[in-house]
Amino acid sequence: MIRFEQVSKVYSGGFQALQKVSFHLEKGEMAYLTGHSGAGKSTLLKLISVMERPTDGQVLFNGQDVSRIGRGHIPYVRRRIGMIFQDHHLINARTVFDNVALPLVIEGYSHQDIRRRVSAALDKVGLLGKDRYFPPMLSGGEQQRVGIARAIVNKPSLLLADEPTGNLDPELSMEILRLFEAFNRVGVSVLIATHDTGLINSQRYRTLTLDSGRMQTEEGV
Amino acid sequence: MSRYKLSWPQRLAMYGVDHLRQLFASLGELWRTPLSSLMTIAVLGVSLALPASFYVLLKNAESVSEFWQSKAQISLYLQQDAIETQVSELQQRLATLAEIEKITYISAAQGLADFKGAAGFAEALDLLEDNPLPAVFILNLSESGRAPEAAELLLADMSAEPIVATARLDMAWLARLSGIVDLLRQAVVGMATLLLAGVLLVVSNTLRLNILNSRYEIEVMKLVGATDSFIQRPFLYVGLWYGIIGGLLAWWLTLVMVFWLSHKVNALAALYQSDFDLLGLGAQESLLLILTGTLLSLLASGFSVRRHIRAIEPS
Repeated sequence: MIRFEQVSKVYSGGFQALQKVSFHLEKGEMAYLTGHSGAGKSTLLKLISVMERPTDGQVLFNGQDVSRIGRGHIPYVRRRIGMIFQDHHLINARTVFDNVALPLVIEGYSHQDIRRRVSAALDKVGLLGKDRYFPPMLSGGEQQRVGIARAIVNKPSLLLADEPTGNLDPELSMEILRLFEAFNRVGVSVLIATHDTGLINSQRYRTLTLDSGRMQTEEGV
Repeated sequence: MSRYKLSWPQRLAMYGVDHLRQLFASLGELWRTPLSSLMTIAVLGVSLALPASFYVLLKNAESVSEFWQSKAQISLYLQQDAIETQVSELQQRLATLAEIEKITYISAAQGLADFKGAAGFAEALDLLEDNPLPAVFILNLSESGRAPEAAELLLADMSAEPIVATARLDMAWLARLSGIVDLLRQAVVGMATLLLAGVLLVVSNTLRLNILNSRYEIEVMKLVGATDSFIQRPFLYVGLWYGIIGGLLAWWLTLVMVFWLSHKVNALAALYQSDFDLLGLGAQESLLLILTGTLLSLLASGFSVRRHIRAIEPS
């Protein structure tokens, strides 16, 4: 699904975020990406969603080298990835329904399809009755689940989560993890960047550890 | 693998529906920022109404000038001793010239009769032994003869005729009039250029601010896979509406201006015993005005929106 080959990233200030990182995330696999703050977790995720380009090496997504694709192709790569962020990245001026529907509207689905799929996605994250709310009216955990609903609404083959439980208590964090596991069970590949050790230790998945931009260990399932 | 998850007829149908929906949704967008929208539309309207009003003035000046130009004529006062064969020879020659549209011959006797009838001092004229008036050819100039240089040439040519005592062309004021109209035309073009440049700047700046205000939304949309053109569309529609409404406002302002001026002009024309009517904007010109506003606004939006949306990247 994702293959990094000798990927390095140096930011324009000279900061080396990643150094010769190589790893492979299998189709249908679920893994953690961990390491202390500034170790390069976010950079690694941004290279997959083409928010950043590597200085060196190859980033393959479904066999396609996304590190060299043209600007115009980037949106089509992102449509195949569901992204979840620590701060949700929801549009507060739009309802929960509109937020979740956004990826479908962008792809040009019909209104009936959109209504059906958004309802299904909200149902999966347990927010079916809240489609008319605005994000600020919801709790942090609920907002995060709206973000997850938006990430999965167009059935991506890959979920990338950047500190998805960062602001949540352990109980809510486990709920979120259960959601990811449910998606993983139906074949979605999941990569969760986190430094929440409680989360990592609760379920044994493969853990990719970054230390100062280098890939340290790969612990098996 | 295909870039799309939907088939192309599905996408095409949704594309059309989406465009229509966004066209009207963006009208609502104008209400979200009423003050800045209103200001932009007002600037557009005034900036377009000014050159349009001056254009109307110019059009009227041109029609007046043309009316007088059509009266451009050369008078040939013949020698008192010119004999009839010479006169008819000259007349035949005049008839061959392209610069002349119409030839009127007023014999000395007829001239005297006219003069008596018009001036009303027949008795004084009766005291004269000889007819003091010369025979006159009045030449109405054709379209090609009305150009100042052509008229001057013809005048020189006519003066050289042996039986012509004096040839007169009242050209100086006509030249001045056409000079003024020319100047006015240049002024309108220059002013229109500046004002239209102003329109471009105002529209592109308003849209730049609109885009910066929605920066976060645009970042989120890019994150979930929106193409630049998808994000641009609502902003372009807002620009389109600015143009349409601004163009209509300009048209209305020009209409009011002409209506207001026409009263004054009619009063003035009455003093000159003229039934001159102020010409307004024709249907085609009105359409052109509104279309110009729309296209300019769309052009400015296109440049501004493309540039600024491209510059926003999620981080």
